[in-house]
Amino acid sequence: MQNNTFIAGKENGVRLESRILEERIQDAVRQGARELTIEACGQHCLGGRLWMAKEEPIHVTITGAPGQRMASLGVPGTFIEVMGPASDDTGWLNAGAEVVVHGNAGNGTCNAMAQGKVFVGGDVGSRSMTMTKQNPRFPAPELWVLGQTGDYFAEFMAGGVAVVCGVDAIDQACTLGYRPCVGMVGGRIFYRGQEQTVSAADAIHAPITDDDWTWLTENLKQFLNKLGKDDLLATLAVREEWHLARAKTPHEKITRKRKSMSEFHAKVWDMELGRGGLVGDLTSVDRSPIGLITTGELRRNVPVWENCKYMPPCQASCPSGIPVQKRWQLIREGRLAEAVDLSLEFTPFPATVCGYLCPNLCMEGCTRGLGSLKPVDAKMLGKEGINAHPPMLPLSSDKKVAVIGGGPAGISVAWQLRLKGHKASVFDMDEKLGGKLQASIPANRIPPEVLAAELDRAREVIPHVRLEKKLTREDFEAIRKDYDFIVLATGAQRPRTLPVPGNERLVTALDFLKAAKHGDGKVGERVVVIGAGNVGCDVATEAARLGAKSLTLIDVQKPASFGKEREEAEKAGAQFMWPCFTKEITAEGVVLTDGRLLPADTVVISIGDTPDLEAFPENIARERGFITVNEVNQTTDPHVFAIGDLVKLGLLTQAIGDGRRAAQAIDDIVAGRRPLSVTADMMEELKTRIEYMDPGNHMSETIDYSRMNLAYFDPRLGGFESLDQCAEECSSCGVCRDCGICEAICPRGAISRQALPDNEFAMVCDNEKCIGCGFCAGACPCGIWTLIPNTPLG
Amino acid sequence: MSAVAAITPSQLSLKDLPWQIRWDKDRCTLCGQCAAVCPMQTLELGTFRKRIVKVPAGLKSKPENEHTVYYGIRQRTAPHQACIGCATCTMVCPNDAIMPMHSDEKDKLRMHVNLGGQPRTRGGRRNDSGSVLDQIKFIRISMLTDPALDSGRHEFDLRTLIGRIQSPAEGLATFKEQGWAPAVREIYPLMIGSMSFGALSPNMWEGLQMGVAYLNEELNMPVRMCTGEGGCPPRLLRSRFLKYVILQIASGYFGWDEIIHAIPHMKEDPCAIEIKYGQGAKPGDGGLLMWHKVNKLIAAIRGVPPGVSLPSPPTHQTQYSIEESVAKMIQSMSMAWGFRVPVYPKISATTTTNAVLNNLCRNPYAAGLAVDGEDGGTGAAYNVSMNHMGSPIASNIRDAYLTLCKIGKQNEVPLIAGGGIGKNGNLAANAAALIMLGASAVQIGKYAMQAAAGCVGSESDRCNVCNIGVCPKGITSQDPRVYRRLDPEKVAERLVDLYVSFDTELKKIVAPLGRSTSLPIGMSDALGIADKDAADRLAIKYVV
Repeated sequence: MQNNTFIAGKENGVRLESRILEERIQDAVRQGARELTIEACGQHCLGGRLWMAKEEPIHVTITGAPGQRMASLGVPGTFIEVMGPASDDTGWLNAGAEVVVHGNAGNGTCNAMAQGKVFVGGDVGSRSMTMTKQNPRFPAPELWVLGQTGDYFAEFMAGGVAVVCGVDAIDQACTLGYRPCVGMVGGRIFYRGQEQTVSAADAIHAPITDDDWTWLTENLKQFLNKLGKDDLLATLAVREEWHLARAKTPHEKITRKRKSMSEFHAKVWDMELGRGGLVGDLTSVDRSPIGLITTGELRRNVPVWENCKYMPPCQASCPSGIPVQKRWQLIREGRLAEAVDLSLEFTPFPATVCGYLCPNLCMEGCTRGLGSLKPVDAKMLGKEGINAHPPMLPLSSDKKVAVIGGGPAGISVAWQLRLKGHKASVFDMDEKLGGKLQASIPANRIPPEVLAAELDRAREVIPHVRLEKKLTREDFEAIRKDYDFIVLATGAQRPRTLPVPGNERLVTALDFLKAAKHGDGKVGERVVVIGAGNVGCDVATEAARLGAKSLTLIDVQKPASFGKEREEAEKAGAQFMWPCFTKEITAEGVVLTDGRLLPADTVVISIGDTPDLEAFPENIARERGFITVNEVNQTTDPHVFAIGDLVKLGLLTQAIGDGRRAAQAIDDIVAGRRPLSVTADMMEELKTRIEYMDPGNHMSETIDYSRMNLAYFDPRLGGFESLDQCAEECSSCGVCRDCGICEAICPRGAISRQALPDNEFAMVCDNEKCIGCGFCAGACPCGIWTLIPNTPLG
Repeated sequence: MSAVAAITPSQLSLKDLPWQIRWDKDRCTLCGQCAAVCPMQTLELGTFRKRIVKVPAGLKSKPENEHTVYYGIRQRTAPHQACIGCATCTMVCPNDAIMPMHSDEKDKLRMHVNLGGQPRTRGGRRNDSGSVLDQIKFIRISMLTDPALDSGRHEFDLRTLIGRIQSPAEGLATFKEQGWAPAVREIYPLMIGSMSFGALSPNMWEGLQMGVAYLNEELNMPVRMCTGEGGCPPRLLRSRFLKYVILQIASGYFGWDEIIHAIPHMKEDPCAIEIKYGQGAKPGDGGLLMWHKVNKLIAAIRGVPPGVSLPSPPTHQTQYSIEESVAKMIQSMSMAWGFRVPVYPKISATTTTNAVLNNLCRNPYAAGLAVDGEDGGTGAAYNVSMNHMGSPIASNIRDAYLTLCKIGKQNEVPLIAGGGIGKNGNLAANAAALIMLGASAVQIGKYAMQAAAGCVGSESDRCNVCNIGVCPKGITSQDPRVYRRLDPEKVAERLVDLYVSFDTELKKIVAPLGRSTSLPIGMSDALGIADKDAADRLAIKYVV
């Protein structure tokens, strides 16, 4: 074999195709050539892929102009020396060849090189030493550049060492070109010149250690030797002229070097705008960050313990204004006697009315009804009223009040006035005070001894002026002069009748009931009652007691009767018919407009009563047969009040309530708490104001039903066995029952019970613990706690 | 609810509500935090009665009833307190015991949000998650045909121009005569659209502005934010940060006296003036800041007494025609800063966009046109306006751009597109699509709230209570108890994250197009859509 094989890139003056030249080089090596000289003429990929030489070294000398990718795919043992410059991509995918280029090398030198070394005696073009690799199995690749690099040097460099000497560089500040090291993940770059900006995200400068310097100077000597420029060593081996840039570690890459926002906030933002930032000059409100759960003044909502702020529905429903709930509370506290006595402050007839005759609107209003629970039994409590002890009766006032009419309304107002220390005399024609209570309530509705006892209790303290005859206007004017106030309570005494032929045959219900009660009632076998209301029912019941065999109640509409009266009548065998319009009354009975005849021996008319207003002067205004009053039952003569059926037909409890309201107003006027007022221009009945049912005005409105919580009560409870049981089952609407649930449920332990003087107490919330969740309101059986928006901030 | 009481038509059961609270009794510790934090006070403690009937095996004795009581979390059903699905309860629950779930069918509440005859108003966005922008694909990917760019490696200069750009001939003439040239700003193409101080909480507003300042001064990204119509804090007006701000003037003219007082003290000119004529979320309707949101701070900035409602009517009172309106407003606003500041109108996307645009093209002072599409958000609007009024931004901006092309001014009058960009999270893709359809810049609002402040609002009608001051994240409330939940610094940080990541994504889209130093405005040959009608309408490629 020849020592040196020459392969020309031209044949007969014609350039050989890269493929042909490649074949010739490969053939030569295969045949044993280990030293080749190639006269290149721009051919591609020269000097690479000479692996058929196995481990034997091959030396390739390239003269002329090598083409792109010289030494690409190079393998260990291949040594290439290019006598002039090299084109682009020299050493591309080099896997071990050692290359010396005496001139410049083009763009992309050492792109994707993994092993081997490339020594360049001039500059390299852009994107050199990019995408390099470093395989742990082999020595790292190296690129040595005597001059400078082009732009974008070492992009995505992943390993190896680049050494850039910067000899004859155009600009010592730019020996690495523009934007080196972008995407660099591994390897090191030693360069000479001024320290340069490398891609901050990817690379970083590092100090050159003594070991580094030893390595660099030794290899530099060899590099210069390969180039035949040993004399440059002294110039280049100046340690302070060298810099080392290396890839950042992944850990270093995630460390952001940006200014922190808090630093920017403090040192840039607030510095330019002033303390407090954007609106520091406009508001002093603290705007610093807070959490989602806050306490104290930062709560959006705060709980309030609204004990006794609202009226319980039972009390609000009671026209007499009896504090039913409070009475149950007293019983829960073991103070039964006080609970019973308390009733007399509101009504003179607790047993008669609450216990027997009243439809108990308090029970209709009971919150428990909303949960299909049986209302607390106020009737049971009412019956206890027979044992009630009247309160102390002062007589401190010199004001005189005349009450005209001694029925339930009149007795109520006189009773109330008496309780307040005023002397009220009742003018009435009957022998004894009592009115309709006394005269016309059937005995089966209430035990006579109960009624008698309660009437006696009232009579004892109420002076009775018995009138000889029906009151006249002159009588009225006389009383008006002698008394400071007059309360009209004559009720509805005049029965309404029908303008039909034969109406003279009718018996009025009032006459019938009075006679029945008095013991001289008479009735035929067949009775027809016109008007099937509750009074009609009473008539039917009494008629049956007196021996009637057939009972028919007719009405023009669906009968309005209800409750006990209706039950008793039905029990007595009463038939209800409607709609029936009476045409005439004959000896045979009642003839209806549709021609039917209802046979009757006795026909009772029970279509209501109307007041008899003849005795009252014209300045007391009236409308549709009733006296016009304001919210405290004051008539258009401010000294004159009107109550009960004179004002509006109603229940006993309503008449009693009217009395209490009027008495309260009179007492207020006397005491100067209320002006007498001019009432002459009052045109119509005004709505009763609840505050007059609650003299202290603590509870101005009724508590909303939604605030109470009935889940605590047994829905299957069918009835009540005792007053104590009733009291326990009362939800205590609007008034704290001191159950301790709020203390227990509060997640922050913010609620505690605070004892106050006189056995009073309050549930107190510690605002610094409370988060405003409203659990207290959600759990409270009585509806005391509520959550309201906190005082606005800012 | 009582089973025996009469029901009313608007009494709804849990099933009728859009959001139902799932509550896990086993996990709940009754800590009260969910109820305390619930913005609507939907959640309350429930007291539940439990009945157990004990029947002995073999019936050896009489069965017995046992009632016990337990507590739990209950959801109120009144329309004004219905759950909005914000899930703040979930956020505060220490035991993951509670979460609102969307109803499995259309709720009935929607028929009862008009109690008292008052139709529903709300904040948020159109309840429709559809987006034609999301369907647009970037189909021109240069690998070998053009110099393909590497978004991670190349340097990009993704900036756009706002302001009237003179034609080359005009520009040369101006230069030759040393004449007046319109002000042009080189800014980042993703702008923060107008959201007023008042609609947003002070902490939110400050957070956004701080983030904008950071982007400009620390990251060299010339991001701009529009004030919205609520004035501008005097300190900002007198700071160098003003150059990052676009001041808005709208029909309410709030805060403009403060701006005028500040002009002599301004260190910098504002970036631009936006004249608001319409808003995409509620086209044709005005705004109303309710009196209870007008606290001392808002009042001071807007230049009004506190505690009064502040209406911004749908129209400017003294402007009657396009010609007059636009010319007059642009003239006077330009004059305020000596014609050094670009002035452009903002309208809601409409079939009349082209009419406005034609007019602007004839006005040498008009600096551009902002068009806000139907998917824009708002702090408060009628539900009907939000859901049903307005035009989608895609075809509207496309029409506008093609009109500009037709008259040869496509490089002269910048279009700014807004409304629904990133509504489904695809911010960069939507922005790039609009830019390639012809927008010079895009504006975002809701996306910034969601990304920078954690807004939980959605097109499924989640939350969307920006209008009533209870924003669970403190973004749209003026109540310090609520807005202090938001740390301006954190908002700023997230805004920076948003922009930096957007920038990377935008590069990922434009690099394969071979663009690095100029935005591909109107480069519609890069766009494709798998919907023939949409492709025809937008004049882009139909691809399947």
